[in-house]
Amino acid sequence: LKIEDTQPETHAFPWFGMDIGGTLVKLVYFEPVDITAEEEQEEVENLKSIRRYLTSNVAYGKTGVRDVHLELRNLTMCGRTGNLHFIRFPTQAMPRFIQMGRDKNFSSLHTTLCATGGGAYKFENDFRTMADLELLKLDELDCLIRGLLYIDRVGFNGHPECYYFQNPSDPNSCVKKPCNLDNHFPMLLVNIGSGVSILAVYSENNYKRVTGTSLGGGTFLGLCCLLTGCETFEEALEMASKGDSTNVDKLVKDIYGGDYERFGLQGSAVASSFGHMMCKEKRDSISKEDLARATLITITNNIGSIARMCAVNEKIERVVFVGNFLRINTVSTKLLAYAMDFWSKGQLRALFLEHEGYFGAVGALMELLKTSEDL
Amino acid sequence: MSHRAFPWFGMDIGGTLVKLVYFEPKDITAEEEQEEVESLRSIRHYLTSNTAYGTTGIRDVHLEMKDLSLCGRTGNLHFIRFPTHDLPVFMQMGRNKHFSSLHTTLCATGGGAYKFESDFRTMADLELHKLDELDCLVRGVLYIDSVITSGPSECYYFENPTDLDHSAQKPYTLENHYPLLLVNIGSGVSILAVYSENNYKRVTGTSLGGGTFLGLCCLLTGCSTFEEALEMASQGESTHVDKLVRDIYGGDYERFGLPGWTVASSFGSMMFKEKRESVSKEDLARATLVTITNNIGSITRMCALNENIERVVFVGNFLRVNILSMKLLAYAMDYWSNGQLKALFLRHEGYFGAVGALLGLLHPS
Repeated sequence: LKIEDTQPETHAFPWFGMDIGGTLVKLVYFEPVDITAEEEQEEVENLKSIRRYLTSNVAYGKTGVRDVHLELRNLTMCGRTGNLHFIRFPTQAMPRFIQMGRDKNFSSLHTTLCATGGGAYKFENDFRTMADLELLKLDELDCLIRGLLYIDRVGFNGHPECYYFQNPSDPNSCVKKPCNLDNHFPMLLVNIGSGVSILAVYSENNYKRVTGTSLGGGTFLGLCCLLTGCETFEEALEMASKGDSTNVDKLVKDIYGGDYERFGLQGSAVASSFGHMMCKEKRDSISKEDLARATLITITNNIGSIARMCAVNEKIERVVFVGNFLRINTVSTKLLAYAMDFWSKGQLRALFLEHEGYFGAVGALMELLKTSEDL
Repeated sequence: MSHRAFPWFGMDIGGTLVKLVYFEPKDITAEEEQEEVESLRSIRHYLTSNTAYGTTGIRDVHLEMKDLSLCGRTGNLHFIRFPTHDLPVFMQMGRNKHFSSLHTTLCATGGGAYKFESDFRTMADLELHKLDELDCLVRGVLYIDSVITSGPSECYYFENPTDLDHSAQKPYTLENHYPLLLVNIGSGVSILAVYSENNYKRVTGTSLGGGTFLGLCCLLTGCSTFEEALEMASQGESTHVDKLVRDIYGGDYERFGLPGWTVASSFGSMMFKEKRESVSKEDLARATLVTITNNIGSITRMCALNENIERVVFVGNFLRVNILSMKLLAYAMDYWSNGQLKALFLRHEGYFGAVGALLGLLHPS
């Protein structure tokens, strides 16, 4: 029985799902829009205050952001109709968030706070001692899959959630195309957050974690900050968009003078990432933008290469990339689409999802509502 | 018995280093010596009486193979390296010593054999006989392993790799060693599955290799050489730079068997200004080494699994004087495969391509 079809007798509001990751906290909040006059009258003050605070702002404090463009409107969940909001803030601001929960007397609402991600374990005690809140801890990969399949099912305000690139190897005809994950099993799911997890998903309830890599979004941002002096993900991407990585990387043609034909390696392929940087003259001649670009390309191509090996190993043709490393990052998205297509000679297809890094939080919310089904 | 004219060289012109092997005959008869042309004698003396050449050339004396029998001659095999950057100086030397008048073929492999082919012709009037780098690598590995019968074993592994501080080097015999996964870590990385002497395939590669380690280190720490980078790395602490599983989970991620000390996000702590200001150059060098090494280990493991191969041989000059990476690789292979995979290493590390090129001169197929 799917969540969208269940009936009332549900969990008390507010309905939250939380994913406390290594870098970002992702929060989804269900704002009911079908509140009756009676309900409204009975609604306690702090619940109303939370609802107003979240829905009438798009920024919270200095670092909280509500991704309005991702809002799902008029969604039906457990017999209620409402809007699903997508909010994020740095995990570093967690103490502030917990403090807010305490100030707004969240614990008096007797609601369960479903949380996933490593932070659900790491901050469990802090929630208890600082805000008198009990977290219901859920596994991050269980939540990721559950959330992803749900959003794909309900769609994005009438549009498809999932997309791919047609002709990814041809910049002139490369075009974004919608698709649908339903009946797309098995699929390889690559979650690129601070680090990377790669899962082989056979059905909603049958998956395994194939492997992971520690060279993820956190590596890109950490290295960029060190190499260029930038401070945020957005700055790093901005710099990368203007740089030329071939000034930094040693290409096959720099070593061979052309292609390495025997093994099908084009001259333009990177032989050694950052390979030019051992030469002082080259170090003195490149820009911060070049370094940012090289860092982005290196991390992205490494993930693509590992994903491809897993796909071959597991005999899976569809590779779905999610996670906040891809947020506003079309360079990486297109590069992954190209890499999957090119290196597999068209056998593999890269798929992407609009709600990128929020699926864990959605999965946590669904677990909250599911437990109420059993009541 | 007629043989190829001396001098016998094998050359591997890589992305960062040129590797040169030179066979010094020790069984020269009085007659031969009298007929020996001046330029040949001069080359022999220059190479064997020095251990350093110019400002950057080095002869790895500890790797010299004495009393080797090759094509009916007996002699010593010398191992010499210099930066590819200094190839023009080398070519100039070849010109000054009238190498081209010796009418010997210069067998060369590596990308530079293609890239610098024209330069050798125009600057030193020398014709290169180009050979594929991976053919030479495989041929060289199998040859060296088979002829070393005395002295330290060419091939070795680390006993107790999970206890990094106490793991000891132990000799290993590669005989009947097929299939093998051969991981060549130079500027970049190539991974080969070797089924027999003449049957191998390039499985994959990665661009995050030795060149990446050195390039990033130079940028992050201000160092200039591989040796400096390794020295810094030996004194640093990578956990100050990386974000570990325990930094995110507060402990282990038990569900999927990830211990708290596993790196979740390399350089992941560096997005915070306070952390950036508190780490040392040594910490950064260490983190770079660990990141590159573990990434190679991870990719290697996936290939070994894919190809159903249990023995993995790591070669290439990234491992030269780099016991830290060797131990990390040995550990990673053992730990993540629950003891199924064994990491093997070879003493002549980055010279196999050059050896294979020399063999190409002597046994052209």
